[in-house]
Amino acid sequence: MTNTWQWLRKTVIIGFWLCLWQAAAFFIDNNIILVGPVEVFRCLAGLLFLPDFWKSIAGSFGKISAGFLTAFFSGVLTGSLAWRFSFVRELLNPVISAVKSIPVASFVILSLIWIGSENLSVFIAFLVVFPMIYTGTIAGLSSTDKQLLEMAQVFSMPARKKLWYIYRPALIPYLSSSCNTALGMSWKSGIAAEVIGVPASSIGENLYMAKIYLSTEELFAWTLVIIVISALFEKLFLMLLNLAAPAGLQKRKEAKS
Amino acid sequence: MLISISHLSKSYGGLAVLNDLSLDLIPGNFYCLMSPSGSGKTTLFRILLGLERADSGQIKGLDGLKISAVFQEDRLCQEFTAVDNTAMVLPSHSPLKRQDIKRELSRILPEESLSRPVSTLSGGMKRRAAIGRALLVPFHMLIMDEPFTGLDEDSKKNVISYIKEKTSNKLVLISTHTPEDVSLLGGIPITLS
Repeated sequence: MTNTWQWLRKTVIIGFWLCLWQAAAFFIDNNIILVGPVEVFRCLAGLLFLPDFWKSIAGSFGKISAGFLTAFFSGVLTGSLAWRFSFVRELLNPVISAVKSIPVASFVILSLIWIGSENLSVFIAFLVVFPMIYTGTIAGLSSTDKQLLEMAQVFSMPARKKLWYIYRPALIPYLSSSCNTALGMSWKSGIAAEVIGVPASSIGENLYMAKIYLSTEELFAWTLVIIVISALFEKLFLMLLNLAAPAGLQKRKEAKS
Repeated sequence: MLISISHLSKSYGGLAVLNDLSLDLIPGNFYCLMSPSGSGKTTLFRILLGLERADSGQIKGLDGLKISAVFQEDRLCQEFTAVDNTAMVLPSHSPLKRQDIKRELSRILPEESLSRPVSTLSGGMKRRAAIGRALLVPFHMLIMDEPFTGLDEDSKKNVISYIKEKTSNKLVLISTHTPEDVSLLGGIPITLS
């Protein structure tokens, strides 16, 4: 009953904002400045039947997720090394600080010069995600319970068991939290890079064309597509990450939510 | 093998916690450390476990000695079951399989609690899980730092009889504040000065 009530409330709230959006579009009555949800969904329905639509989605998804996954695995690896060896951390610190503070737009332009536009979104997604995963890994490993490590020492636990039973439960909540932010950021920055670089068969190229032709309805439709794909990728990846967590940690998270 | 502690001292920031302690510990005996809080029981245990270094003095007889422990805190991996917590500390050549661990732990813990993550267990259950873990690992000497905290009378009696069964002919060192525990354990009381 409570779930049905909550679902109903959410539907009414979303319906209210959609109606308000449609009313605003109706009163402004200018398809360049604002289009209503009806036109956006009509435009999206038209796009669904175009082969280029799916090609663009596949192109952007492949590149941005490749950038994200490369950053994830290399972030965990280098973060672990930096946590273990302070020299590695000191060595990498200036680079990580620079990557964190340099504006994404500067990187996009530099990357256009270095690697061209085709793989631009892979590189940009990587640059945005890597420092977050790297920092999350160090924080997670540093949060490991020292008393459990002493227990492991007394019972002579081998390294692989310590990794599985002590470090993994400490690391996963931090990684999960970093990924929550990084997943959204990878899509935002990746698409922004595509809009600047305009690689062929990409969502960014379609957004750019929508801007050139002042096609606000296409701009809105593609934005909606980005939101949906980004949310699906986020859900899928966090679900996989959750599978890597110990059962007890999953149960605790479920109980909290 | 006899463990001989001689002239052991340890201080933290100028505050002497152990002062010139000398003690012989004979295998097969239950020693109960009965001193008040702050008298260095935990520090002595930590030195014996190799987690701290003494400032001076020496301990003979520890080479090659397998030591198991119940810490003052439970020190269990909260996300895993009591069976997992025991299995993870067993050496790879241990003959104990998961069903053996389960059977052993069910003697001091309710059966249903063994399949739940430790984080969902009560304080007393966690304590018993920590005791069970320490007793199922192969050891020559067992160190238990206030092991009965949070146990009700019945659980305590059951746990004590299980400890006695699992530690026959082994050296056991227990810290406790309750004189009754010493008689229940049939231990030799020691007071650290």
